[in-house]
Amino acid sequence: MKLQVNILNPFVIAAGEVLSSELGVNIKRGQLRLHRETHISEDITVLISLVGDVWGVVMISLSFETAKAIISRMLGEEVVDFNELAQSGISELGNVISGLAITKLAAAGYHGDISVPTLIVGKGSKISTFDIARIIVPLDTDVGTVSLTLAVKLTPKKTTKASSWQMG
Amino acid sequence: MNVKFLNPFVEAAYMVLESEVGLKAERGEISLNRSAYTADDITVLISLVGQVKGVVLYSMSEATAISIVSAILDQQFEEFDDLAQSGIGELGNVITGQAGQRLASAGIESQISPPTMIIGKGTMVSTLDFQRIVVPLDTDFGPLQIHLALREEGV
Repeated sequence: MKLQVNILNPFVIAAGEVLSSELGVNIKRGQLRLHRETHISEDITVLISLVGDVWGVVMISLSFETAKAIISRMLGEEVVDFNELAQSGISELGNVISGLAITKLAAAGYHGDISVPTLIVGKGSKISTFDIARIIVPLDTDVGTVSLTLAVKLTPKKTTKASSWQMG
Repeated sequence: MNVKFLNPFVEAAYMVLESEVGLKAERGEISLNRSAYTADDITVLISLVGQVKGVVLYSMSEATAISIVSAILDQQFEEFDDLAQSGIGELGNVITGQAGQRLASAGIESQISPPTMIIGKGTMVSTLDFQRIVVPLDTDFGPLQIHLALREEGV
């Protein structure tokens, strides 16, 4: 698979910008990794799907500790439990990152839309994106690592939905 | 939460299960849930974007998934391997695609995302402020559930 850096970079840049502005610190990007095996979930995963010219799934994974520290700083008050407010805040963070990335993609000529976020809580589950390979981008903050997982590709030429059934 | 999304998904599931799996499904009692869903062994997650937006989940036990995939591919599976996972993901994709076409015929346009699969019982899946309608389907291979956390845009 040829990596399409032009559709990946907007997500990496958006995540860096949003985290940096919410946390008020510089974000250091770690080593990118290409991952084909099934993804094993962290404590918290925000999952957002993409439809349009760019197609796939974006996941933002982090530990409870990192999530609580981020939310505490965003709200300006100590969040002790990963409660409903914190869940909503972390999901919104994923939404803002993906939304900004979509805006950057549109500026580059790729038009698409993002789904509502789904929040997956529980370490150790397998999350499969099937035939879409994943790029993992670790973003180091002063309160721990936020991993951005990108399973995105350019949309293949239109086929009718019914004909996508190729099993059997 | 609008019940008009319900029938297209139930009809699509009946049709696809019958044509692809040779399986008759019977709908059990529908419930409305506000709290997070605690995952069964296998959950297929597909998002809808457009005039209807939200998330659809298909959940089942591993045993049910293996029976379904064995029937689709006409080959006995012993474990829920990559091919089996792909078959169940595709089943969710086809049901959602069919439901999307039914919604489009009713004037509600949407695009469906690629499927994602969550494997691991007990994980919590939250659709946040979207309520979930849970539709249990009984089949000879065991129960399946369809969860609809959908909302019509701009209404």
